[in-house]
Amino acid sequence: MTIADYAVLREAEEFLYREAELADDHRFDEWLALWTKEALYWVPCNEEDVDPKKKISVIYEDWKKIDERVYRLKGRHAHAQAPRSRLARVISNVRLADYEQASGGTVTSRFVLGEVRRDTQSVWLAKQRHVLVRVDGELRMKEKWVYFINNDSPMTNLTFLV
Amino acid sequence: MIDIALHPGNGLDVGSLIQEGRVHSAIYTDPAIFELELRRIFYKTWVYIGHESEVPKRGDYQVRLIGRQQVIMVRGTDEKVRVLMNRCRHRGAVVCEREAGNVKFFRCVYHGWMYDTTGKLIGVTGREAYGPDFKPETMGLTPAPRQDNYRGFVFASLSPEGESLRDFLGKAAEMIDFLVDASPVGQIAVDAGVSKTIYTGNWKLVGMDGYHPNYVHASVVDAWKRDADSGMGATHREDPFDDKAESRTRDLGNGHAMLDMRKQRMKHYPVYEGFVRGIPGGEEYVKTMLEKHGEERGKLLIALAGDPHVGVFPNMQIINNQIRIMNPLAPDRTEVNMYAVRLMGVTDDFNAVRLRQHESFYGPAGAGSPDDAEIFERAQMGMLADVNPWVEISRGMNREVKDEDGTIVGLITDEVTQRGQARKWRELMTQAN
Repeated sequence: MTIADYAVLREAEEFLYREAELADDHRFDEWLALWTKEALYWVPCNEEDVDPKKKISVIYEDWKKIDERVYRLKGRHAHAQAPRSRLARVISNVRLADYEQASGGTVTSRFVLGEVRRDTQSVWLAKQRHVLVRVDGELRMKEKWVYFINNDSPMTNLTFLV
Repeated sequence: MIDIALHPGNGLDVGSLIQEGRVHSAIYTDPAIFELELRRIFYKTWVYIGHESEVPKRGDYQVRLIGRQQVIMVRGTDEKVRVLMNRCRHRGAVVCEREAGNVKFFRCVYHGWMYDTTGKLIGVTGREAYGPDFKPETMGLTPAPRQDNYRGFVFASLSPEGESLRDFLGKAAEMIDFLVDASPVGQIAVDAGVSKTIYTGNWKLVGMDGYHPNYVHASVVDAWKRDADSGMGATHREDPFDDKAESRTRDLGNGHAMLDMRKQRMKHYPVYEGFVRGIPGGEEYVKTMLEKHGEERGKLLIALAGDPHVGVFPNMQIINNQIRIMNPLAPDRTEVNMYAVRLMGVTDDFNAVRLRQHESFYGPAGAGSPDDAEIFERAQMGMLADVNPWVEISRGMNREVKDEDGTIVGLITDEVTQRGQARKWRELMTQAN
């Protein structure tokens, strides 16, 4: 890997770290602003890959639904996040696939997400895949896919940003 | 405060925990009562296992729970669907180590014993070590003592005696029809995935409640106001959870209960039909349904959109586009598995819209059901403070109406449904083992 390649990788990593920071701190509007209007947010359930025409997912949303999600979570009535979870996630194993500095591309990574709510600490682990695009010089996300390793097991409350 | 004489073994009259319009919170929190519930409710009555469409091919199986007991719902080589206890007849290991799959036979890896998919014991390793008293034909996987099927809904009972499934379902049976007959060909496929959730609270907290939506789901109501076409918004245009609405609570008997939205939806029928027409394949659907079922029944099926909103005691509900199973794991731990449904005889796009609606509200990241789970957890926490242990379920007790068929009916916020479930609970819990 050349220094130039490494710089490209670091920029993608920084995007993921920033996304994680906003999500951890419940900075909903800023997190929403990372998305492009042509958005796909996909968290499958039961399996790693499902046909959304034929099966449900935990989350399968376009920008309008992501916006609604953020609107609901910001409000006073989202009881499952009252109080809000304390969150800290660690992003790692970041790799680029089909990626150009000028236009963006696919970034895969993994995360470990620690969550504390009402004195219970949960650890969530996932593989994720982003499609990043460059808009007005800045990276934004067009697609985000998150595969939780426990997506075929009973889940408690996943209403915070993942 | 009730003292330790609460333990049923100490001669406690469990029936005294259910009174007129109130129940003792020990029924939600006490471990001894929970164990009694397993024996007197889950191991006695009919329990919903799964839908036969979940095991479409020979050898397909699904492992489910009746209380703590694992059962295998499997389609045998003879095409018949059976419910077999997941326990090797040798030394007791589960023969199915996965939750679902397809097999030609069940092989227990402990000592290699094999059963075919009808449950018959077909292989004993080292057969010569057993004498003439060993009768392999009596050593198959134990079937659940009673099994039956209503329109593809497979039920089992661990009690060899009792009323038939049809009698047990009673008036709930025609409510199940509202889901199955939402398909123009009268068939559903429960093959669209499952939202698996768990909460720290008692299984009985998942009831039928028309009083809570405006409070627990206030955030969803808020989002609907923002955009009436968002998620479920389109199907609830006027507030159906207001006592002024035509919607009702119904105690169907035998612990079954429902939020009856039929009149409310028919009152706004053009809106509901309009919504269906707007879905890909919707025009065709409306035409087919009216042709097949006639105007009256056809319109009702279209308006309800496969959602009878019924609870089938003790462990199943049909809500929105799902069949939901509640598994009691502990007095304060319950699994809720929401199986999404596809209607046969409609386009993939038509079903896809319904699947998106499911995701919008249900599942661990949904806008609705996590708030239900949160409230159940708060109720469970609160009930531990039992200086005054009584839980009020008297809402609407003075304005109940009895239908000719015996159904007790209340306004949508009335606790008719809670009282119906409590009544069945007392009936079963006061029967000796």
